[in-house]
Amino acid sequence: MAVSPMEQFQVKPIIPLHIGGYDVSFTNQSLWMCVVVGAVSLFMAVAVSNRRLVPSRMQSMAEMSYEFVANMINMAAGEDGLRFFPFIFTIFLFVATSNFFGLLPGSFTVTSQIAVTFALTALVILTVIVTGFIKHGIGFLMLFVPKAPALMLILLVPLEVISFCTRPMSLSVRLFANMLAGHTMLKVMAGFVIALGGAGGIMAFLSVAPMALIVAVYLLEFLVAFLQAYVFAILSCIYLSEALHLHDNH
Amino acid sequence: MSEPDPDPEELRALGARLDEVQKQRRVRDVPPPPTQAGIAFRFTTELVLATAVGAAIGWCIDWAFHTRPFGIVIMSLFGAAAGIRAVIRAAEEINAQAAKAPARKNDEEK
Repeated sequence: MAVSPMEQFQVKPIIPLHIGGYDVSFTNQSLWMCVVVGAVSLFMAVAVSNRRLVPSRMQSMAEMSYEFVANMINMAAGEDGLRFFPFIFTIFLFVATSNFFGLLPGSFTVTSQIAVTFALTALVILTVIVTGFIKHGIGFLMLFVPKAPALMLILLVPLEVISFCTRPMSLSVRLFANMLAGHTMLKVMAGFVIALGGAGGIMAFLSVAPMALIVAVYLLEFLVAFLQAYVFAILSCIYLSEALHLHDNH
Repeated sequence: MSEPDPDPEELRALGARLDEVQKQRRVRDVPPPPTQAGIAFRFTTELVLATAVGAAIGWCIDWAFHTRPFGIVIMSLFGAAAGIRAVIRAAEEINAQAAKAPARKNDEEK
């Protein structure tokens, strides 16, 4: 019996619910989102519940993640970007924890659903647009007008508009596709192990090769899980920084 | 309170040393450079998505002003151009990052 490598991404209802013609069932997706949010909240609550000047291991993990994100915002968006610290910190922790939890055997990867990543991105881009208009008023539209001779602007303004519209797409697709590709690859190779093992005889010994490869790819996936969360957070910072400062610090 | 009050002079010295350590740490906190597959993946998504978004905008223009097929043709070309520019920009970023990496090693040796 062949198991589809894509089966792991299926959203299945756990508690079916229909309100006003909409399907709002509590699914495995919702369950794992709750698990992620719960785990992060619990970790943070426990880590800071027993504060000491010389931190315990938990406390120093919480402090390190705090400082990591704070430094990142400081680097990418400057001092006044720190106003968005709670927002970026939440997004970073959510994405990183979802990616890591997705690597647990039998779990569900929340960030492998484009609906989730796109919702996160929409949140970021809406924040960018609202911040930009609050800070600069209608002048925010100057974001689309680069410093160039007037004749070139006919060509450059549509380019700027398109690249602005591409951002939410590339941000959400990058996270979603990385997770999807990595997990599919793991499942496909796991299928090789089972098929070779089931063939028996000399073939069974060959199944060690894909098994070793799975271990290697699994380790790589840990790097990808962190890196994608980092990329997601830092790109959000860069976009926010552009809304805050427009062209003045390029 | 079982601990004795710390000496303020000592605390200040400790603070200075911590600042020093932190300054060194900050250089190390630069993320690892992206893998080859990561770079390839980034370039393709930028290029394809920009073209697709350009085409989508063109389609909307056509739908609003009944100018089919000119909007979609012209805007896909603009989209492709935006995609190529995004790729060039991404390449510049990666180069800048790669240039920083050896400098980081030298700092650690000091």
